[in-house]
Amino acid sequence: MKSYKLIVVLLIVSFVLALTGCAPKVVKETVVVEKQVEKIVKETVVVEKPVEKPVEKIITATPEPKGPVTITFWSAYSPNEIDVLENSVIPAFEAAHPDIKVEHVAVPYDEFRRKLVTAIAGGTVADLIRADIIWVPEFADMGALAVLDESMPDFDTYAEAVFPGPLSTNFYNGHYYGLPLDTNCRVLTYNKAMFAEAGIDAPPKTIDEFLAACEKIKTLGEGKYGFADGGTYAWAVNPWIWSFGGDVTDPGITKTSGYYNGANTVTAYEFLKKLLDDGYMHPGIVVGGLDSWGGFGKGEIAMILEGPWFPPIFEGMYPEVEYGLALMPAGKGGPISVVGGEDIVLTQQSSHKEAAAEFIRWMLSPETQLSMAETGQMPVLSELLDTEYMKTHPFYGIFLEQLKTARARTPHPAWPKMEDIMTSTGGAILSGERAVQEALDEAADQMDGLLAAQ
Amino acid sequence: MLSVKPRTRLALTAYAFLLPGLALFATFMIYPLLKALQMSLYEWSIFPGRESSYVGLANYAQAFRDPIVTLAFRNTLLYMAITVPGQMVLAMIAALLLNSIVRGRVFFRGLYYLPVITSWVIVSLLFKYLFEWPNGLINYLLVNVFHLIAEPVQWLYQPSTALVAIMALGIWKGIGWSMVICLAALQTIPPQLYEVASIDGANAWHRFWKITLPLLRPTVVFTLVMLVIGAFNVFISVALITGGRPQHKTEVVLTYMYHQAFDFLDFGYGAALSYLLAGLILVLSFLQLKVLRRPQELY
Repeated sequence: MKSYKLIVVLLIVSFVLALTGCAPKVVKETVVVEKQVEKIVKETVVVEKPVEKPVEKIITATPEPKGPVTITFWSAYSPNEIDVLENSVIPAFEAAHPDIKVEHVAVPYDEFRRKLVTAIAGGTVADLIRADIIWVPEFADMGALAVLDESMPDFDTYAEAVFPGPLSTNFYNGHYYGLPLDTNCRVLTYNKAMFAEAGIDAPPKTIDEFLAACEKIKTLGEGKYGFADGGTYAWAVNPWIWSFGGDVTDPGITKTSGYYNGANTVTAYEFLKKLLDDGYMHPGIVVGGLDSWGGFGKGEIAMILEGPWFPPIFEGMYPEVEYGLALMPAGKGGPISVVGGEDIVLTQQSSHKEAAAEFIRWMLSPETQLSMAETGQMPVLSELLDTEYMKTHPFYGIFLEQLKTARARTPHPAWPKMEDIMTSTGGAILSGERAVQEALDEAADQMDGLLAAQ
Repeated sequence: MLSVKPRTRLALTAYAFLLPGLALFATFMIYPLLKALQMSLYEWSIFPGRESSYVGLANYAQAFRDPIVTLAFRNTLLYMAITVPGQMVLAMIAALLLNSIVRGRVFFRGLYYLPVITSWVIVSLLFKYLFEWPNGLINYLLVNVFHLIAEPVQWLYQPSTALVAIMALGIWKGIGWSMVICLAALQTIPPQLYEVASIDGANAWHRFWKITLPLLRPTVVFTLVMLVIGAFNVFISVALITGGRPQHKTEVVLTYMYHQAFDFLDFGYGAALSYLLAGLILVLSFLQLKVLRRPQELY
């Protein structure tokens, strides 16, 4: 009995201790609750505002607003572009559309496609995506994108306002799945100080002149390279294939045999191999890990191919380095570069398609296009071509000139696999593991299989 | 009143307690496992609501024809064959050394264990910088400090040397784990055994081979099985250091599976590859336990 009593006493003591221990907490919690009440009061004030706004809404004739909707927009914009987008473009849009909030999420480019794939599979993808032009056919094929020419009533107005080339990257299986947002291509970018030192007075216009320039740069000494590129992927290799008159597929994208292993493509790969073997091209194209901007800025690399994002960012990194821009050196096929850029696409899973379409319109307005143009995002609106801004722009002129002949990488759902084969094949050729013709024959055979499977 | 037998009642209580854990296990382990098995038999479309077509064992058949799969399995086996013994031998040495010191044992144990608890992502990136060409620290030491080689090595861009870097990381990061287990086992060996052996005239070498090692046998078998499974699952370091480059030559099974699923959207093929790997691990683990486990002999 005694021990029983003891336990009861102990229990009571522990309860008391627990209570006293809790006591201050309870007080704190009530404080928190009071604060929450305050918050709620503030929030109700916020809620009142949209109640006034629908009146405006009715005037602008945009249908069915039921309180503010939030649309999400994913992109791989770089920091200086994000700055303009988040601090001026989106706030201006939200001010003009009080019932729509835009949540922008920036994803690093290298992880972007994988993030999209997982998000699409999980049903958590954003309303709007700024997609690399080369992804659109694949995502459209998957069923992930809304058919924009059907879900956006004024699609045609916008389709007519933009450059036809970038617009065509949204076309898949008879429909348009997006609108172009920005466009670009690569042009020859050369280091003026290195050119002067090597006695080259003008940028090379042809591939022969390009080779001659590389030869002169080599005389500058060890560790000086005429040219550099980051790898054997299509973005790097295709400009050479096309300029040499070769191609990856036939115009109808039904086969690669006879094109990717055709005589002109073989010459292009042989040319790149020779550049590497003669020490004209930085070995980074095979071994990777190349810091081409660093090498270019430090006067180790004389020529690179760059897009319109280069000038604003590079000038911030190496303000005293003088560089020039010129067309891709011309070969048998002409001075052909590769088209890049991004499209804005609306996802099938979006539950705010109206609001999202409104943001697409905003992104394609002349004002937005011009403010993004400041960061090197080349506008896609034809009407801007005649503006003073574009005519007197320090570097858009050369890119517009190059765009006239620049070509797009194969718009096909099987493209990621095809490019993987091309990258491996290029690596095997440049590292000397495989003979050019034999490697290209095998690659063309594999890619034929991919195209046939679709 | 419903009458329930006390025994059944007890069982029901037990199940009630097990239920939350079991539910989590079923949701996050069993369901994905079965789902992946299903995917491996389909040409899987990841878009929700899209039809996936049943292809039977075609994905598995494709794996046997794919030369990169062969290469990936070869690299994975090589990784296992080198990192598992590497970790075990070095961990054993570290454990024996730590067991023989008294001062600073806790400190060094913590130090050796540090790589184990650091993130794979961080140490992978660190190793990538160490082995960078031409200006990484390893090249700097080899060329400029010790003058062992004349030209910097392109460590990460040649398949063989890239695998060296990846395996070095695997061994370095794994030593601590095996060491802690070894050390714990060493401390369970009764010191009288060594005393008796010493009296009988056994030297340190004999004592290690005849007493320490046999008594550590269950521990060694356990670490072996665990490390082999771990080695087959090598992924993050390869994905971050080489990503399979150049030309898929440094690919291991899981990185290739990842490329297939998330880069080429071939989820069915990716699932089939992971099932092949799982099958191999299962068979090997079973064989290891069957062959190596013996009843405890002493005491």
